[in-house]
Amino acid sequence: MVIDFAVQSFLTGRLWLREHIPFNSNIIDAHIATGNIKVIPGIKKEKSFLYKTIFQCNRCQNNTPSRFTVFDCAKCEGPCVYCRHCLKMGRVSYCTTLIAWNGPEPAFPKSHLLAWEGKLTPLQQIASHELFESTIRNRPHLIHAVCGAGKTEILFKPIYKMLLKGKRVCIAAPRVDVILELEPRLRVAFPTTKIAALYGGAIVENELSQLILATTHQLYRFQEAFDVIFVDEADAFPYTADETLRRAVKKAAKENAPIHSVTATPSKKLLYQMRREGSVSTINRRFHGYSLPVPRYESLWNYSAKIKKKKLPMKLIKWTEQRLIKEEPFLIFFHNIILMEEAEPLFKTLDRRIKSVHASNENRKEFVQKLRDKEIPGLLTTTILERGITIPNVQVAVVGAEHGIFTSGALVQIGGRVGRSSVYPSGDFVLFHHGISHAMDDAKREILRLNKGGASL
Amino acid sequence: MTECLLCDVELLTKPSWKTLLALDDEMVLCRECLSEFKLSNQQIENPTLKKVTSLYEYNDAMRDYLHQYKFLQDIALAKVFKYELHNVLKSKTNIIPIPMHPNRKVKRTFSHVEELLKCARISYSDVLEKKDDETMGKKSKIERLALAPLFRLKPEVVIKNESYMLIDDIYTTGTTLRHAAALLIEAGAREVEAVTLIRARLND
Repeated sequence: MVIDFAVQSFLTGRLWLREHIPFNSNIIDAHIATGNIKVIPGIKKEKSFLYKTIFQCNRCQNNTPSRFTVFDCAKCEGPCVYCRHCLKMGRVSYCTTLIAWNGPEPAFPKSHLLAWEGKLTPLQQIASHELFESTIRNRPHLIHAVCGAGKTEILFKPIYKMLLKGKRVCIAAPRVDVILELEPRLRVAFPTTKIAALYGGAIVENELSQLILATTHQLYRFQEAFDVIFVDEADAFPYTADETLRRAVKKAAKENAPIHSVTATPSKKLLYQMRREGSVSTINRRFHGYSLPVPRYESLWNYSAKIKKKKLPMKLIKWTEQRLIKEEPFLIFFHNIILMEEAEPLFKTLDRRIKSVHASNENRKEFVQKLRDKEIPGLLTTTILERGITIPNVQVAVVGAEHGIFTSGALVQIGGRVGRSSVYPSGDFVLFHHGISHAMDDAKREILRLNKGGASL
Repeated sequence: MTECLLCDVELLTKPSWKTLLALDDEMVLCRECLSEFKLSNQQIENPTLKKVTSLYEYNDAMRDYLHQYKFLQDIALAKVFKYELHNVLKSKTNIIPIPMHPNRKVKRTFSHVEELLKCARISYSDVLEKKDDETMGKKSKIERLALAPLFRLKPEVVIKNESYMLIDDIYTTGTTLRHAAALLIEAGAREVEAVTLIRARLND
């Protein structure tokens, strides 16, 4: 039995479209013949109540009937069906096949280096220890730590210990920005470990990586791959809204492998579930020991009408000018793209370098870096930058904080951008509003509660 | 509950007797996505083709649409322009789609022009055959003009002394359509018109 190690490295833990495999068809056929590669049909058909056919995509686990299209296929010469949910990763239809590695598991290296030299605070240390305890007991664990508590550092030790055992580890996050932020930090922390960062548009490496950082979407393409998965920002959109993403994480984990969650703003459901089935570590102090910035309310009546008339409200101009004079980097959050784009030219009259970013903006990564490097004084943004980014001394304003998109969790996250570094442990966090919403009060109450030491909910 | 075929936003439709009885148009796109497409109305005339009507201009939205429809093979998108195509073609006869080479059709699993017509509920006759499986998109303008005949008639097909209507997805230089039209006229067609979904602007 001959095994091609390149094929083995590529396919271990993966679930890949046969047509997209970067190897010669003959090699794949030979491995299928020897049973080292398993062939899985793209779509599973099942009969249900009243003989209605139910489809499930074997890659993304989607089973919503409206997300499938039945068609007359010229390839299999008959009625066929494909999944529209994961279409962008290459179409999976009834007549396409997915392949997965079924042969002997490659051995992962057991010598690694943890080059991170920082020191954990006592609270971080306890959480890190508890997280590792849960990991070896295959029990899900929730790290509930305020923004800026140093969540990533808490993960280092447990990850390191798992790597030393030759285990495969995954850090998944619903947002690509989080992955982009984590990648350089983990590469520095684990300089000798093979690390891959996977997100839409990233180059797929053929090497076998032991530590994988991936958007939860990318986990559609994994199956029984990881000994432990850490889901960072587990409450972020779209992870909570799209059930297939949660199924994908489960599918990517090996049997009984623990799936941990890390977030500053867990939903009540997640908290309850973790308390019942797993365990929870709570940290309500930032790593530098200072309090979380408390939001300040500032009325901004009829702001959207004013902006539509091409006039910036006076309060907003004053706030922005102050930031410009003091040379403090700033972020201004908007609830919708159209309003933000209308406001952008108005802000440009204050400073030409001000830019705006949103979800489909390709320069997002570059602009955030420029803000850090002080080449740009400030950014206008949608909620896309609400989490995962760290900019020293950043000041934050929310325009239209009363809007439904700013849930209390989102506001806590946005406030969490402020005062993250120990050099600048505080900063302005202002909510410009057209009326105070319950979410704003909830967020303020939550922050005050955490600052008092996190007494009961 | 239906979603926009392009951006997955939920479509809000009010229930009414009209929709219940299927008299109303079925919504497939949201307003935002629909407004991205730009109508063209461009008509071109030349010796072999009496008239070429293109419905839309080629813009970013159209590029993304074609990419998802043809390359990501999202057949559901054939529905997007069904009313527009139906309105242009409902009174026409002798409709002939530009064919794909059989190998390419198997690879794509469907013929994109025929699917557009099927969704628009337009009956067509499939009388042409593609001779080799090269694509236009990869050729320069000079190469396109100097091509050997691209199509042939299927065996036992009779072309009458009538007006014929060719259908293609995109009009770029017009080479494809001219080849097909010349073949039909040679076989006895009185005149040939064409409708394409998109009119592309050439850079060279």
